[in-house]
Amino acid sequence: MDNLIYTLFVCTVAPLILMLLLLQKRSKLIVSYMIIGIFVSLFVSELNTILLGLFNDDMLYVTTAITPISEEIAKAFPVLIFAVLFSNDRDKLLTIAFAAGIGFAMFENMVILVQNIESVSIGWAVVRGFSTALMHGVCTSAVGYGMSFVRKKKKLFYCGTFALLAMSSIYHGIFNMLVQSEYKYFGFILPAVTYIPIVVQVFRNRLLNNKSAVTG
Amino acid sequence: MARNIKRQTAYDIVLNIKIDSFDFRCYYILQYIYNNPHKFILWGGLLNLYLVSNIITCVCAFIGFIFGGIKFFAPRKALYAQMITFAAGCMGFGRLYQIVRILTGGNILGEFQLGVLGVIGSLVFLFSANFGLMDTLADDGSKKFLKYRIIPAAAPAAAVAFYVVFFVFSDIETIPLIVAGVVTAIVSAASYFNLKHLIFPDVDYGVINCLKLYNLLALIFEFLCLAEMFAYIRDYGTLALVTGILTGIVLLIMTPAVERGIKKWTT
Repeated sequence: MDNLIYTLFVCTVAPLILMLLLLQKRSKLIVSYMIIGIFVSLFVSELNTILLGLFNDDMLYVTTAITPISEEIAKAFPVLIFAVLFSNDRDKLLTIAFAAGIGFAMFENMVILVQNIESVSIGWAVVRGFSTALMHGVCTSAVGYGMSFVRKKKKLFYCGTFALLAMSSIYHGIFNMLVQSEYKYFGFILPAVTYIPIVVQVFRNRLLNNKSAVTG
Repeated sequence: MARNIKRQTAYDIVLNIKIDSFDFRCYYILQYIYNNPHKFILWGGLLNLYLVSNIITCVCAFIGFIFGGIKFFAPRKALYAQMITFAAGCMGFGRLYQIVRILTGGNILGEFQLGVLGVIGSLVFLFSANFGLMDTLADDGSKKFLKYRIIPAAAPAAAVAFYVVFFVFSDIETIPLIVAGVVTAIVSAASYFNLKHLIFPDVDYGVINCLKLYNLLALIFEFLCLAEMFAYIRDYGTLALVTGILTGIVLLIMTPAVERGIKKWTT
């Protein structure tokens, strides 16, 4: 099974790396961070196995109280490197953070698919495809927002990023808990419920910005 | 017919009327659990003081969060107010986690769980808003304000004293003791700035004078967090409920207080 996961990793990442050479600047950045997200997912799958062993194979406890923290930290790390070394532009950070989250979710879905090949269905794919991808994307973007203060306001960056990391870990924990419980349908709609207001807010802000630019 | 019987049974269990015999009541309760295990967990949960406390705080925190989201999340709005909105949101998410954990049969008392991060995250947001944004506006570091920098140390001193008396000197397990220590450290840092901004004579900008009500509420909230942590660690359900209700009320009026303060300052 381990070999299969690594095989999947190579099959997914290799074409994306080849595509990178042909892409323009912004697209290149987005696809790069998707690849990084996939790599982080592979790393986390190994880390989670170790964590599971440390907590006496208590899958429910580990997935609802421990792995949300480890996964959020692992996903945030590449975004932090970008914010510190390259750019702290908020739009760029939110985009690459979302891309890393989506890459992470894509590979996580593949790993779960391989592990539960007998029981998966199209319905499962639709639900996981939308809910998990959105959940990881929203969580990593939230942390990316905090990192945009890395050069502008250092004090705000340290505390804000930590607090946003805490918030996204809780959100991730709620999602993991709901999807494993009898209330799993609430878990499936939770990411959409959070994603829609964010999208509405982003469009509202763009409209306001455009309006103020026109009125001068 | 079957539905009527079920309805009557649920009604009897909740209100405890119509059934006189104890044996009959036990029979009905067992029959009800057998027929509706999920509903029983829910009804049983409603009697759980921790669940009620978490629901109240969660609803209030989310109302504050939504209010702040509508008022403060437009272009060129104060980042300070956004941080406080995030604090309410973080608390709301923490409470939602604990509600889901209770309803799915998990434990929130004896072991580390992510709900604690809601409190920690919320306190860090409050600390960050004052330390990272507002304090640099008000305090220029000059010697004439030295006493306004010393007096607020009373708040962290009180938090540490609370921790020593109620946590260190009582038989508490190591992990809850560490978690309470982390919360106390953040409460200390956040409460210092809230008390400072409550007494500081903001002569240059006047913004802190307009935010005194918010700073008072934040200070109360921080100490309520400590009291609630004590209630959770010692398993005092009633205290948890009281602190949960008070925390909810404070969170409910915190973002409107910030909005009022900012409006007062700008007009």
